Amino acid sequence: MKPVGYFEGESMTRRKVFAVAGGALGGIAGAAIVLPALGFAIAPIFDEPEEDWQAVGPLDDFVPETYVPRVITIVQGIGEAGKTTVYVRRGSADLGEDPDSYIAISTRCAHLGCPVRFVQAAGNFICPCHGGVYGFQGEVIGGPPVRPLDRFQTRVTDDLVEIGPRYSVTSQLEPVRARDPGEFTGGVWEYLYPPRPSTAPAP
Amino acid sequence: MNSQEKERYLREYEVMKKKGKPFFPYAILKDSTMALIVVAVIVFMSLWLGAEQGPKADPTTTTYVPRPEWYFFFLFELLRVIKPPELVPIATIGIPTIAMVLLLLLPFYDRNAERNPLRRPIASIAGIMTIVAMAFLTFLGANAGSPTDIEVEVAPQYEAGKLVAAQSGCLACHQFGENGNNGPGPKLTEIGARLNPAAIARSLEIGPGIMPSYAGLAEEQPEQFRDMVAFLASLNGEEQETSETEESASGTPHSTGSEGAAGGAGETSDSGSGS
Amino acid sequence: MPDLQKLLPPPMRRPPKPGHPGGNGAPPAGDGAVTDGAPASPKTDDPGRRLTTGVKDSPADLVGWVDERMGGASFLTAMLMRKVPKGTNWFYTLGSATLFAFVVQAVTGVFLAMYYTPSPVEAYASITHLTNDVFLGEFVRGMHKWGASVMVILVFVHMARTFFFGAYKYPRELNWVIGVVLLILTMVMGFTGYLLPFDQRSYWATIVGVNINGTGPIVGPYLSDFLRAGPEFGATTLARFYAIHMLLVPGAIIALIGAHLYLVVKLGTTAPPWLRADRKPKDARSQPVDAFAGGSYGSGDGSAK
Repeated sequence: MKPVGYFEGESMTRRKVFAVAGGALGGIAGAAIVLPALGFAIAPIFDEPEEDWQAVGPLDDFVPETYVPRVITIVQGIGEAGKTTVYVRRGSADLGEDPDSYIAISTRCAHLGCPVRFVQAAGNFICPCHGGVYGFQGEVIGGPPVRPLDRFQTRVTDDLVEIGPRYSVTSQLEPVRARDPGEFTGGVWEYLYPPRPSTAPAP
Repeated sequence: MNSQEKERYLREYEVMKKKGKPFFPYAILKDSTMALIVVAVIVFMSLWLGAEQGPKADPTTTTYVPRPEWYFFFLFELLRVIKPPELVPIATIGIPTIAMVLLLLLPFYDRNAERNPLRRPIASIAGIMTIVAMAFLTFLGANAGSPTDIEVEVAPQYEAGKLVAAQSGCLACHQFGENGNNGPGPKLTEIGARLNPAAIARSLEIGPGIMPSYAGLAEEQPEQFRDMVAFLASLNGEEQETSETEESASGTPHSTGSEGAAGGAGETSDSGSGS
Repeated sequence: MPDLQKLLPPPMRRPPKPGHPGGNGAPPAGDGAVTDGAPASPKTDDPGRRLTTGVKDSPADLVGWVDERMGGASFLTAMLMRKVPKGTNWFYTLGSATLFAFVVQAVTGVFLAMYYTPSPVEAYASITHLTNDVFLGEFVRGMHKWGASVMVILVFVHMARTFFFGAYKYPRELNWVIGVVLLILTMVMGFTGYLLPFDQRSYWATIVGVNINGTGPIVGPYLSDFLRAGPEFGATTLARFYAIHMLLVPGAIIALIGAHLYLVVKLGTTAPPWLRADRKPKDARSQPVDAFAGGSYGSGDGSAK
């Protein structure tokens, strides 16, 4: 007994309807479970940071000829694991910098993130992992690092030098938004290694 | 493999299986013995080598020398030897990804029906070369030292100069024996045979090319500077009479001057062997 | 075209219909051992049931009781009593040795997880407490730590054995692919696991490892952010690695080991490649024979019985 309106060659059968509906409902149920969980895992990529400025010492502590190490907190709330060392100096007129500005260099090697150390006798930074060497301004003079050392923004407030968010530099020491170690900066690389919302804008 | 080879293999396999023994207990016995050996090895290593904790994680350090676990040493060494910055992504993701893809797709490009390794020269040689390369890279990675440690043996009167050289960043660009980087500067293992002390001192003061100038060191700490020149001049590749206890030299607290020379480098670096 | 069914190993064949002779020529049912009065069921004429039919008659028929409700005895018998090819030697134990090392890691890992706190502030202290104050704490932690190295070594040696024996070729290609994925997952376990003690070595090795991922173009920076839960090593990075190390990757490994073992049982392990079927070997270490000369076993006259 054929249903009303049946015609020869009709394609939609009861079986097909159930198969499609079952698949669609199951898909919705699955998505309802997986998508929030995935979003939960991916969310930190899109968290925007708060700008944090910390005082590291009076103006007289810092000289243009050498760096002094200071400890700052870059992640709040986890104690020692959230701190890092920065090397700070006053700007040097010999190098064409403003003598009233301060330069803060990160100890994070631009190759893969190992802690670099400043060697005063040679006036350069050495990385213990894969042989990277940086000159006095953080520019690469040897080894595999792909760009100069990162810097932190600096300002002076109430006669104290303050350190702010991190930024990266191109090989010409032009500031760009902070990148992870191992990522080239400048030119086309700005698009191949895109800036992330989780970092602060460049100065 | 074409279908004739497949069929031949299946037939032969059927025969080999018929001639075999049941899994239980013959293979089970071998498996159980091996399991016992594995557990015995793990227990023995745990009792003998222990599980000491290293120092607590300290992101503010400037003296630590990071190293991965030993089974990643081959990748670590690969990153060390690939020096030009343009090639860094090849070392970090290019080579490992290609290696993984080659490994994964092996049965699809090796379609030879032959299984005997003696009759598969390409496969066997490629396999052996891969094993040797990975073992060699692992060995090199294990020996890669800290950038502030020179292990070349010298007579006791040159130990002071050796310490100054180690703490002054020379290893970043020069190689002393097995320590340091092979570039951008020349190897200094036998520099004493090539240059006389005056020439060495002049090189240090001028800082030829991209080498930094140590004139500042010569002015402010002339004694350390002289010690370093003497040490470098002694590296002429001849057998030296060394002190009895080699390690005590690098740990010996020198006069306060040498700590000044090291500046931001602080104390002798600690390497990553605490775990 | 010969019947491919006859050539496949016994567990892969379709089971014989009830009342028909089985693969080994066993007679059909009718031994009177059926207790429930139903017509002859497939399991009583399956030759693999040799083990349990005797037990069925005894009063305390535990095996039969379970088997009637679970029905797995014939599968178990087939798995345990399957033949391994002639010449199987000690090299073939490496696979089960790796599995055993994984079991050791899993068991010691469970005990360690009872004492560990995955917070950057407290992780190191919890490990110190476990090592120094808990009975056998240092020993169990040592087993887990050295067991990891042992497992990595065994995985590589097992892979090398499979490679040199040509055991990845037809029909075992899929098994090799699963094996390589297991190798990668084992290295991932090593990588995520050695962050957990949170000492200097752990911390810096992880920083470098995560930054290596970041060097991939376009997706690299986001991948690093995903692994680290942010642009810097932060409060939830350790917890993320802990979840990956304890839940995500072990689940994947267990599922893939199951698939790997299933294929090993189904397809069988290979014979050592230097043995040939047409030669009567005096012992397992016979000399290699040219595989494609003679071809006496290809004539199909059953001479290789």
